[in-house]
Amino acid sequence: MRLIHRSHRAANAVRTVSPSGELFVASVVMCMILSAFGDSVDPSLFGELGFEYALFDLSGEFSVLAMRHWHLLQLFLAGSTLAAGIMVLRIVVGAFFKPLESAPPQDAEKVPIKF
Amino acid sequence: METDFFSAAFLSALLAIVLIDLVLAGDNALIIGLVARNLPKESQNKVIFWGTFGAIAIRAFMAIIVVYILAVPGFMLAGGLALVWIARKLLTPEGGGHEESHLAKPATTFAGAVRTIVIADAVMGVDNVLAIGGAAHGSILLIVLGLAISVPIIVWGSKLVIKLVDRYPSVILLGGAVLAWTAYGMIVREPFLASWFETHPATKLVIAVLIFSISLAPWYSERLPAHMKPLVVVLPALLLWMLAFEVAGTVWKVQIDYLMASSQGEYFIEGLRWIGWLPFVALFLWVREQFLQRSQRAARDTH
Repeated sequence: MRLIHRSHRAANAVRTVSPSGELFVASVVMCMILSAFGDSVDPSLFGELGFEYALFDLSGEFSVLAMRHWHLLQLFLAGSTLAAGIMVLRIVVGAFFKPLESAPPQDAEKVPIKF
Repeated sequence: METDFFSAAFLSALLAIVLIDLVLAGDNALIIGLVARNLPKESQNKVIFWGTFGAIAIRAFMAIIVVYILAVPGFMLAGGLALVWIARKLLTPEGGGHEESHLAKPATTFAGAVRTIVIADAVMGVDNVLAIGGAAHGSILLIVLGLAISVPIIVWGSKLVIKLVDRYPSVILLGGAVLAWTAYGMIVREPFLASWFETHPATKLVIAVLIFSISLAPWYSERLPAHMKPLVVVLPALLLWMLAFEVAGTVWKVQIDYLMASSQGEYFIEGLRWIGWLPFVALFLWVREQFLQRSQRAARDTH
């Protein structure tokens, strides 16, 4: 008998959640797992590499090691930034690919070409 | 835990406690209403006041006791495992219809009503205090502050909370994720396992993914197509399989690192570790398919 069960939407959150809310929580979870990854790697393994590793870590896979020290607030902020980034990327990619799609044959916008 | 009020650690723990309090809050108003409905009108207001006061007091007392209990070796691990189950239960969609509390029977006396309200709140709040005890990292100040912020919101602003979660159901998902994250923190901080985690740091990632895959299963299983649903069982089972070999390697002093394997037995164990799970997964998929076919046949026969 939880307070949230008074709301049908909240009691069935996994079904009623909005796509943007879901993207935000998924991004936060991703950041939490990356933080756990940073926590699971022994930093002494990379300590010897020092500046070299910092210079050649172009893809940034080792930079997540710093996330081991992040707190919930930082993970929320990183998650919201990640979610915003994914959303912008989705809009930009959508805007790029939309003109490439052919209009349906019966569509009003279809330009009639007759030979 | 730092007691600097504006440090990220302190604010994060406070945020986690308030969020956990909101999503796991019991419906006190309903309990009080059910218990006090048979009492005379003049007693009802007194029952509401003393019932609410008793519920808050017992909640604060339990939360402080939990902090001390979690300091006992073994309890942090048990609490973490319990939180995984609580997070999963929070995200599981309700079957339909509102659950009527068996704890809240109508009382006939003032003392009986207050006692029932306090006991019902204590029983309903066990998961809540366990979660905030884990999120508080042993700080009594954080627990008291968290309760001072969230209890008035829940008691006098329950409609506001309902409006918030109704408008943004993602708050519930976020609460589930924070519970899973707290469970991970509790398991990793377990004093019994501290030395083991130092020698096996990679298992922390396995445990994190395992916890998230179990706690958030109701969420991602909703999004998976029918043929991918077995993943909800197979993924955690596979992670447990891998983890079991790490544990076995420590307990029985078995060499499970393929680079260090030297005898045939060690190579066999290594092979078992990486491909030994395949027959079990195949068996599980076959049994599941048989059950599905049988239930479909039974449903067809009844129609």
